[in-house]
Formats: sequence, structure tokens, C-alpha cells
Amino acid sequence: MNRRDFLKGLVGTSYVVLSGSSVLAPLNALAASGAGASDGWLTTGSHFGAFKMKRKNGVIAEVKPFDSDKYPTDMINGVKGLVYNPSRVRYPMVRLDFLLNGHKSDTTQRGDFRFVRVTWDKALSLFKDSLDEVQTKYGPSGLHAGQTGWRATGQLHSSTSHMQRAVGMHGNFVKKVGDYSTGAGQTILPYILGSTEVYAQGTSWPLILENSKTIILWSNDPYKNLQVGWNAETHESYAYLAQLKDKVAKGEIRVISIDPVVTKTQQYLGCEQLYVNPQTDVALMLGIAHEMVAKNLHDKAFIDGYSLGFDRFLPYLQGETDGIEKTPEWASDITGVSAEIIRDLAKVMTQDRTQMLMGWCIQRQQHGEQPYWMAAVLATMIGQIGLPGGGISYGHHYSSIGVPSSGAAAPGAFPRNLDEGQKPIFDNNDFKGTSSTIPVARWIDAILEPGKTIDANGSKVTYPDIKMMVFSGNNPWNHHQDRNRMKQAFHKLECVVTIDMNWTATCRFSDIVLPACTTFERNDIDVYGSYANRGILAMQKMVGPLFESLSDFEIFTRFARLLGKEKEYTRGLTEREWIANLYNDCKAANAEKFDMPDFDTFWKQGYVHFGEGKPWTRHAAFREDPEINPLGTPSGLIEIFSRKIAQYNYDDCPGHPTWMEKSERCHGGPGSDKFPVWMQSCHPDKRLHSQMCESEAYRESYAVNGREPVYLNPIDAKQRGIQSGDIVRVFNDRGQLLAGAVVSDNFPQGVIRIHEGAWYGPVGEDGSKEGGAEIGALCSYGDPNTLTQDIGTSKLAQACAAYTCLVEFEKYRGKVPQVSAFSGPVEIAL
Amino acid sequence: MSQQQSVNQARASIYQLLSSLFAKEVDHQILHELTSAQAMAFWQQLGSEPSFSHDVEMIVAKLQTLTSDKALLELAADYCGLFLVGTKHSASPYASLYLQKQASSDDDQPLLFGEQHQQMSQFLKQSQLQVQSEFPEPADHIAVMLAYVAHICVNQDLAQQCEFVQHNLANWLANFVNKVAEVDQGSFYLPLARLTQSWVESDLQWMQGEL
Repeated sequence: MNRRDFLKGLVGTSYVVLSGSSVLAPLNALAASGAGASDGWLTTGSHFGAFKMKRKNGVIAEVKPFDSDKYPTDMINGVKGLVYNPSRVRYPMVRLDFLLNGHKSDTTQRGDFRFVRVTWDKALSLFKDSLDEVQTKYGPSGLHAGQTGWRATGQLHSSTSHMQRAVGMHGNFVKKVGDYSTGAGQTILPYILGSTEVYAQGTSWPLILENSKTIILWSNDPYKNLQVGWNAETHESYAYLAQLKDKVAKGEIRVISIDPVVTKTQQYLGCEQLYVNPQTDVALMLGIAHEMVAKNLHDKAFIDGYSLGFDRFLPYLQGETDGIEKTPEWASDITGVSAEIIRDLAKVMTQDRTQMLMGWCIQRQQHGEQPYWMAAVLATMIGQIGLPGGGISYGHHYSSIGVPSSGAAAPGAFPRNLDEGQKPIFDNNDFKGTSSTIPVARWIDAILEPGKTIDANGSKVTYPDIKMMVFSGNNPWNHHQDRNRMKQAFHKLECVVTIDMNWTATCRFSDIVLPACTTFERNDIDVYGSYANRGILAMQKMVGPLFESLSDFEIFTRFARLLGKEKEYTRGLTEREWIANLYNDCKAANAEKFDMPDFDTFWKQGYVHFGEGKPWTRHAAFREDPEINPLGTPSGLIEIFSRKIAQYNYDDCPGHPTWMEKSERCHGGPGSDKFPVWMQSCHPDKRLHSQMCESEAYRESYAVNGREPVYLNPIDAKQRGIQSGDIVRVFNDRGQLLAGAVVSDNFPQGVIRIHEGAWYGPVGEDGSKEGGAEIGALCSYGDPNTLTQDIGTSKLAQACAAYTCLVEFEKYRGKVPQVSAFSGPVEIAL
Repeated sequence: MSQQQSVNQARASIYQLLSSLFAKEVDHQILHELTSAQAMAFWQQLGSEPSFSHDVEMIVAKLQTLTSDKALLELAADYCGLFLVGTKHSASPYASLYLQKQASSDDDQPLLFGEQHQQMSQFLKQSQLQVQSEFPEPADHIAVMLAYVAHICVNQDLAQQCEFVQHNLANWLANFVNKVAEVDQGSFYLPLARLTQSWVESDLQWMQGEL
């Protein structure tokens, strides 16, 4: 049969034309005229920076930094790849087996990616039905909607606020206390210094640059971490780091980076490094303190006038209570730092103005409270707390802390809680004798061992029996520890709902997945300059929302409508009205202090600039008069010994800072005979936690062989036959992952680094495509939390201790799986 | 209607049918229409062409097994895994993903709504068309491209049709089919993708012969 006959034959049949199904429509007048969203530059921002975006032909064509951002991060080059990403959650989805069987579904299938598309109406009603079922059957202790995190920027669309307010209108639920970043620090420091310190404004950089003679960067890499901020970042800290670099070169300020690895900051500043064995910082600090006392270098007047309990600490330091004198020699054995250097450090730190700048990593380990406490004790012994360029900071690497604040009031936000007088539909506060708030990192423990009672920060916490989790703008399948343990826990959950913009691993392990649009697909308002509060930014919608995604405001307005509470939820205001109100309230709060134009002018202009702030010294008022300006501690003084903590009687957090051995420690510590290598999983250089990992082209700028880089010491690599670019299997008894080797002198023997935030992409244990949902799966991309330990720091904070983690690694010789963490179609050359 | 017009109408209807099947999941309505007596006569004629017969048979056989909601949902899950989620199980239906330079190249072209989407939007605009607002997808979605060919089959001359199909559709279908074959566990979307590829190839050949 020839072709023409065949076609003629087809004409003879009444060929199938499916009804109402064309995806094309006549060009409408608006689109034909090219009107509608016009092309041009708009203002917006994100954690990665405030910036301008050019819209061309209806898509984001170009991104350039905000005019006042002189040190933009190159991460803004990844923004387009976030928006136009094959991993976008495009439609509301429900896991097939959940759709078929609801709360009796086969939960071991979670992670298998068997989803079907449903309408928004269907998805939201399934969400509501699940909440109904849990509230009816189990009450509020069955629901955990409190795992919240970094969200996207914007005061109106903040995903946490929307989800918790809307779910809160349905019923009560379990919440968290603390966070993964600073859990131990923010719990211990209020006892010691009277505030969390980690989230407090610090001494201004100009005063540090002017007055400090020595700066100690303790486990701190500000040059890496200041790229991102809680609000739209404008990177002013970098101007001060540039000045510091200059002063280091001229010999005006001595900067010592105490760290096992050569940090990005050290490389930038060209400063000294003091290597210390991982997790042994407390021993080093004790050695320094011992030398200060031995040589009478400590400031006894300051200790007497401003602190409490040095006399209770001293016997421990001198070995009277435990028979071990914490001499520099003792410390040297543990830390790998020579006694001579420890002695010298004691001298250096006390001889002139010394500013200690602590990073957050060392408190994300077992007993992570101790290094922060002991560092505060050292700073007290130095006696410069409250002096410009002296004392201690726990935040100068974070969100423009140290940049003088403008002093202006920032705009408020969409409320997270119910308004006064509003009541949830299930107005039930009976948590059945279990706790309604649990330490943030203990939720997997709770799911696995409901009813168990633990110690936490002076109280008892009894784990609720959690049956359902709701996540929004939050990816715990990045930030929590031990993936295989998480899988076991998730098998016990009846329902998991996740709202996000891209298919994070958390989405994949969920039952209902709802597509939120990105920051750039909605209007919003934000502070820029983070802690400096330098001005207010109009976040102007660029495109979309793409596919069927919706803004957080719209998603939960629809959900509230389903509850019959739309008006209560929105207070009868539209998105635009909310933004205008937040702006106008802020304008009123700043009246007569800061000039702000009317809303329309602001919106057109894109920003309001508040101007520079005045330099400020942390704890200066306390130093001036500790009676009039006491700290927020029980005594109002710095507590070297905490009677309160001592009364808790915790073996892993006694009444004064203490060196305690870890459950796992390299360089001869426990477990190092089997797994000799310490893995650090610090905040990434090229992402904000897991945000931006999915941005393909940008990821390719740092990925190795398509995988997350693992940084290795040259000798360690050589011993295992590994070269840069090789695929490496990193493993321990908890899990295994593949990563791409980067061999570098910046890392000492026995230490490797894989940045957290690498997306989890499980495949079968043998590298086969199937089997990702199973316990023991191999992570094909390199998520370090496949390997980390899921234990609390101590009975005090019960915080994330991801840094107490030993591993082994080898050149991978198995079948190399395709990376499964992101999208499928782009082949990765192997 | 001239014979040529009828033939073009028939070609258009096949492109349109393929477009519809890639545009959304098979629901009860579509299933009903695809398995009517008329439809069966159509499938039979389509399957009379040897290069199509195997895939047509598979499609028809699969349609006949879709006798329950559960079976339809399973097929919908196949569809979702292939075309709606950008995961290891996906064969995302966008030309840009198969035509664009490797992501590792130095330009930072986004993977969706990129060059192919812009090109296709221009084609549509020139033909006084746009993507339906109920179909919120980039213009380089396979369903849009197939629907566009259906449109030009009856609105443009053969040379123009040939030019479009050759340079915008036929050049990536083989890669797309390979990807579907790699990830599809079912017995509907792989034969559908293959049928699309062989139909487009044979139609292109026919057009080239006619010119």
C-alpha cells in the first residue's frame, strides 16, 4: 500500500478527534498587542541578594545586583535556573497509593515517586480530610506542623506563617523549639551571657577594625557564609573584610583562624591558621585558660565584677575535682596543638585588644554547648567584653551582623498565629500527656519512640505520637541527620504534606505535594541588608506563577476558604493590600525618623534607603554598669558556673564548661579504628543550605563528575588511589553516598568535607536505578546527611549534632548510577 | 473538499490526536472516545501501515485493559512520572531539554522556557495562536508542537509544513523516545511515543516526496 492510499484510507475512517482537547487557542487581543506584563527591569531580592531582573518576551532574561550591593555573590547567576527548573513542582500531586488507600496506604512506597496529578480543589480537600482524620482520631498530638526553616524571602508570602496560620485555623499541632543551625548555642548562651547571642547584633566592624589587635576566627568562615542572608542580602560586611585583609597585610591586625581546615576566609585574608583536631576545641580552650591562670594573665577585676562562678570552675581547670589538670600538655595530646603554641596563644589573647569571632559549626556536635560556654569563659578571663574590638561574638559570619544598623523599623509580616479571639475548628488542646513543643532535631526520635520521656533544657519532654507532618518551604530531607533512620520513621507516618516549588527529597517522601511559586512569581516586600536593616525592597513579580503553582498567600487562602474561614484568614485583604499595609505600618513606625514616600512611589521606585547607621559595641552598657544594665542571666552577670544548669544534674552538660569525649572522634578518638575519617558538613559555599542545589547550570559550575564535591587531603587520597575527579564512595554503618573527589591541601589528613544542602538522590544499594526508597540506598549525588549521626548535643539543648560523624571512603568501582536527585533528561557524562 | 485537503485533514487529525494524548492523562471521557466503534475503525486503518502496526496494537490492547478507575489511575501515574515530575523517572516533554546545549556549557540558559519556547511562541504568534491558558506549559511542550503541526497541515503549504516538522520536531523525537523507553514501565506511553516518532518520520518522508 503506498502512502497516498494509506492516507486516503484514513480519510475514509471517522478519525478520532478528542473533544475539547486542543492545547492551542486563537491569539487573544492582549497577547497580540504585546501588552500585559511588559518587558524591562524590575526590582526584587532573595537570600542571595537584592537585585534587578530584566524581563524579556515574558521570561526572566537577566539578573544584575542591586546598585548598592558592591560585593554580590555569584549565586545570583543561579536564580534563573531555580525558576525555570525541570524539577519544578508543576501541579498538585498525590502519591498514588495514598490516593487509593488514604491513611492506610503502603508507606514503604514513599520515595518511589508514584504520583498522580490532581486538581487544586482535590488536593486541598484531601489535605483537609487528612487533618480531619488526624484531629478526630488522635487529637493535636498526632499532627506536627512545626518543622519550619529558611523559606524564601518576603514578609507577606513567608511560607511558615501561611502554613501555620492556616493549619492552625483547622486545629492545634506539635511545634518545635530551636533550629538546626544554632540549636546548642542558642540554648546555652542565655544561661551564660543572657541572650542567644547567635542572632544578636554584634560590635560594629568599624570599631573592630579600629581597635582590635588580634582577631580569633574560631571555626568561622565569614567570607563563605556572608554570601547569603535571612533577608535580601546586600553584602556590606565584605567591605569590612576587605579592610581587614588590608590590615592583615600591613601587620596592623593579627588574625588567627583556629580550624582543622584552611577556610575560604583564611585564604582571602591571607591570615594565619592554627590547626586543631576536630571536635577538640574545648580541650584547647581549657589549655589556654590553664596557662592564663598559671601565668596570671587573666583579668581578675573583670572576672570579679562581671561574672559569677569562676571559683567553681577553677578547681576543675586545675584538676582538683577530676584529677586531671588541664595543662597545655594535656590539651596538646588531645588537640594536636603543641603546648608551646597553646602557651603562646594565652599570651597573645591577653596582651592586647582581642576580638573572638565564633562560628556555628563547633556547636553542631555532641556536647556542642561546651565550646560556646568555654569560649565565653575565655573572653571573660581576657576581660574585654563590652570594649570596642574586644570580647566575643557568635554571629559576625551571619546576615550582615556587625554592619552598623540603620536603626529604622522594619516592615511587619503576615501573621503566623491566629488573631486574638479566633479559634480553630478542632479547638482541642489535649496532647494526651505528651509535649506540644519538642526540640527541633528530635522529631524523628518522637516518631520512632512515641511516649518516651527525655530531658531537655531543664524540663521533661514526652514525645507525642505523630501521625502526620506538614512541611512548607522547608526541606528536612536535607537538614536532618541519618536518611535511613528517617525512612524508618516515615514508614510510621500516615500522611505527609509538603508545599514547595521544586521536587526536594522531602516532596518525594510525601503523600500530597502542592506547588508553590518562586519568590519571583509574586509581589512582596522585604528588608534589605539583613541585620543592618539598610532599607526596604519592593519585590516585584517578574513572571508567572508558572504551571499551576500558586503563591503561599493564594494556596492557604483557598485552604481557608475550604474551612469557611477565608475572611478570618486574609482579614479581608488582597495581596496588594497586605503589601501596602505592611509598608504603611512601617512608614508610621518610622515617622519623623526616616523619610518614606507613599506606597505607590515606593513601589515604582523599587526601594527606600534608610542610610548608614552608627557604630555600636556589644555589651558596652553592661560593662559600663552591670547593675543598671544586667545581662539576661539569672544573676545578671556572666555565668562561668551556672547554678541552674548544675541543678539539672545532666551528665553531658554539668555546671561549668567541661571537656567530654565524643561518641565518635577521629585522630585516635572513639570509633576511629573502624572509621578513621571525620566528615564535616558545613554550610555550602555555592548554595543556601539546599536552596539552589537544583539550579542545573550553576550546579555544574562546582559539581565534580555530576556529583557534589568531597574535599580530600592529598595523602588520604593517594593511600586510597583517588585523584581529583574520581567518584568516591563515602560510607559508615549508617549509610553510603557517592561524591566527586577534589583533592586539596586545604584539608588535613583524616578530615573530609561535603557541604550540607546536597540534594538526596537515593538509588539501589548496588547503584541500580530502583530501590531508592529502601533502607541502605546509595545516595547518587552526595548528601552528607546520609551518613551523619542523629543524636542530640546533650540533655540541655538536644540539638543537631551532625558534626560528630566518622566515615571511611574509597574509590568507587561499582556500577555508576545516574544522579537521581534532580531531573532526568539531562544526561551526565561519566 | 479536494482530495489534497482531505488528506491534509486526515494528517491533521492524527497530529491532533497525538497532541491530545501527550497533553493530559487518559480519563473516562477520552477512554470512551478512543474505544468507540469509530475509533476502532480508525486504529485499524492506522495500524494497517506496517511501521505503525505494532505500536497501534499495543495502544489498543492497553486501552482495552483500562476497565477500572484503578487501571486509569495507574496509567495516570505513568503519565505523571514520565511527563510531570522532573525526576529520574521523567521524560520531560519539552524540546528544550533535548536540543539545548549541555548544562555544563558556559552559558546559563535555563532549561525550561528557554530558546525553544521563545521560538515556538513566535511560530504560534505568526499563526495567530497561543497556548491555551488552561494548559500552563511552555510552548515547546510536545503537545503544543503536535497541535501546531495539526494546525499548519490545513493552513500552510507542504513546504512550510515540511520545514517546520524537520527543524522543530523530528530533530529531537528520537532522543525523547529513548528517554521514555528508559523510564517507562508501562505499555502505553512508550508505544505512543514510538508511534509519534514513526508517524512524524513517515509524514516527513511523504511531504519530502510530494515536494
